Amino acid sequence: MAHDWQPDFEQLVDEHQSMVFSLAWRMTGDRGLAEEVAQDVFLELDRNMNRIESPQHACFWLRRVAMSRSADALRRRKVRGIDLWVEIEENHASQPEERISPLDARIEQLLTTLPEQQRAALILRYQEDLTPEEIAAALDSPLATIKSNLQRGLKLLRAKATCHLKEYIRGT
Amino acid sequence: MEPEPIDEFERELHQAMERRPAPPSLKRRVMQQRATRRTERLHSHTVLWQRLAASLVLAGVLGGTYAWQQKEERRKGEEARRQVMTALRITSQALDEMNSRLAAHDQDKHQQE
Repeated sequence: MAHDWQPDFEQLVDEHQSMVFSLAWRMTGDRGLAEEVAQDVFLELDRNMNRIESPQHACFWLRRVAMSRSADALRRRKVRGIDLWVEIEENHASQPEERISPLDARIEQLLTTLPEQQRAALILRYQEDLTPEEIAAALDSPLATIKSNLQRGLKLLRAKATCHLKEYIRGT
Repeated sequence: MEPEPIDEFERELHQAMERRPAPPSLKRRVMQQRATRRTERLHSHTVLWQRLAASLVLAGVLGGTYAWQQKEERRKGEEARRQVMTALRITSQALDEMNSRLAAHDQDKHQQE
């Protein structure tokens, strides 16, 4: 299929590495694993550059593959969210560019304890600002399933947050 | 369609889920792996063509050897045939000469009687 846009691989890496890495990290809860996943995603992009039709397509493709590879990595490693997250905070809290508030760190930690499908939907909703329809396309899942996962995931996360972070939560 | 109102918790969720900067090593490793893979692919193509060329040369040598052997056997067969024909000719000539001598002897014998 002919198209005028000629993708530049290095430019795509520069533009999307933060997105891909963040998706992988929030899905796996493991910084080292997230870096491996992100590396694999970009190397797969290199193998499929001739299929990328536009900048928007590149973004969609990377999100989709990042989520898929993260899920695969999770199944292989069977990462336990809370314990590993504590270890990560101890090892990487000193990164100055990544210093985040305790509330944010705690919310991310609780996120990793959600069921995988709900976690994936929430990450795409709140990190990438995708609509439920866009999330359904990215995860190749029915829209009704995505809406259910968003609703249940948010409810569960809110309940966990309410339980763990009483002093921070002021929601309904 | 107006966006649904979000509460404070969802706002905090948005903030907590801002994209994190990727580690500097990520891009470096990706570019290194990409360069390595391309070199390996080029090398494997070169090896493949070298093997193909060697196979063609070997097939040519084997085919040529077989053809030469076939030709040699045909030549030997022709030679053997010529030798047999020569032997038959010699034998035939010898038999003719023998018949002539016998005929001459019989004639002499009749004349004496």
